Amino acid sequence: MPYLNVTEVESAVTSLATAYPVSSQLITLPETSYEGRTAHALRIGTLTRVPKSSLIMIGGVHAREWGSCEVLIHFAADLLEAHRDGTGLGYGGTTFTADQVEMLVNRLDLVIFPLVNPDGRRYSQTVQSMWRKNRNPANAGGSPNPDCVGVDLNRNYDFLFDFTTAFDPSADPQVSTNPCDPQVYCGPSAFSEPETRNVRWLLDQNPQTRWFIDVHSYAQDMLYNWGDDDNQSVDPDMNFRNSQYDGKRGLPGDLAYSEYIPKGDEDTARLLAEAFCQGVQGVRGVPYKPMTGFHLYPTSGTSDDYVYARHFTDPDRGKVLGFTIEWGNDQAQSPNPFHPPWAEMKKIVLDVDAGLVQFCLAAL
Amino acid sequence: MSAVPNAPHDDILRLRVTAKDLETLRALLRETRSDTGGRPHHEADGRVGIDVYATAAQVPALEREGVTVTRAGNASEAGRAAQAEVGSGDRFAPADAVPRGLAAKLAG
Repeated sequence: MPYLNVTEVESAVTSLATAYPVSSQLITLPETSYEGRTAHALRIGTLTRVPKSSLIMIGGVHAREWGSCEVLIHFAADLLEAHRDGTGLGYGGTTFTADQVEMLVNRLDLVIFPLVNPDGRRYSQTVQSMWRKNRNPANAGGSPNPDCVGVDLNRNYDFLFDFTTAFDPSADPQVSTNPCDPQVYCGPSAFSEPETRNVRWLLDQNPQTRWFIDVHSYAQDMLYNWGDDDNQSVDPDMNFRNSQYDGKRGLPGDLAYSEYIPKGDEDTARLLAEAFCQGVQGVRGVPYKPMTGFHLYPTSGTSDDYVYARHFTDPDRGKVLGFTIEWGNDQAQSPNPFHPPWAEMKKIVLDVDAGLVQFCLAAL
Repeated sequence: MSAVPNAPHDDILRLRVTAKDLETLRALLRETRSDTGGRPHHEADGRVGIDVYATAAQVPALEREGVTVTRAGNASEAGRAAQAEVGSGDRFAPADAVPRGLAAKLAG
């Protein structure tokens, strides 16, 4: 099966919901994209009388990272089929028993949203393959420069959105207020885009969510909180809400600022990230690295930090640990690791899906 | 590299940009606002490299003392080849066409 086009991602989700009515449910996202596309998610899990913990997975955020959708569609299809037929799952050298599959589907609520940015994917797959943002032209100001279209959705969440105030001027977070930045324009305001509002809606609709994974490429990493600075578990007052530290964030290894994370949360996040990486490596030996998002590069407005920040800004909300997968090999000889030849992408799908199953089992 | 907008049809190249140290690399990326891929890798000789995506016209802005720029491929050309691997139509339109995953289904 070659790469899925936009229509096929949506029809794959609806087809799975129809084929597995006992263990899945179709979710229609409330907001359409700029080009009028409606997105769907799939809930996987058997019905129980007591609410179960949820894990939300999203993909297809950055348009050019095509395989993220395939990672999630194949993950869902494998789980549903194995659960129905009472089989285990084999991903190369990483295998799972039928009992493990059964336990996962019975005890977890998986919410899988494989294509957050359908307009961007459509544009990348048919026009400019390296396109990353969505296709909203509202901020272009009438400029004929094609780079002025779109917002980087993974800079549009409400976490240190005003990065020019929050960060040290020399920190250089990977984000821009320039609407014509071809890659990392954050948008005019947090949640200015329907695609990010859809993700927020999923979180609001699933208050029992405890984990969140955003699938991206590429670096062979499993990132966990935080992404704005180094972690520290000593001073709770040194945190993203404290304006006293404005202008000090984002520098590695300095004493001026590190982002607070309770030690128990960091330990749990690291263990889950390590479980993912172990699952991946067992398939064919590909090493993924667990690390905080900041160790990739400093960021603001990302999904993983937003979901974890929510329970600090509103204690009535449940705690959600945020993760970002960066699949794909930056040492590969391929001229474009964002969408490798499908023969290679199939191997990556197996790697990452094994890691996802391992992550789920570790989370239980 | 937002400082120099892409012309609509300029091909984007995958470049390996290697600097003498991390600070030099950071300064270069800060100044050029480059589109990067992957994470920085330390080479055996202590130099630090990262993937940068840029047009041929943008390459001179990356070249400077202490920095090596190596062309790793034409990302746009590879992208066009990949576009040929995208499905057409809707393979799941038939009622009995259900997606199947790539994992082996193991008895018991």
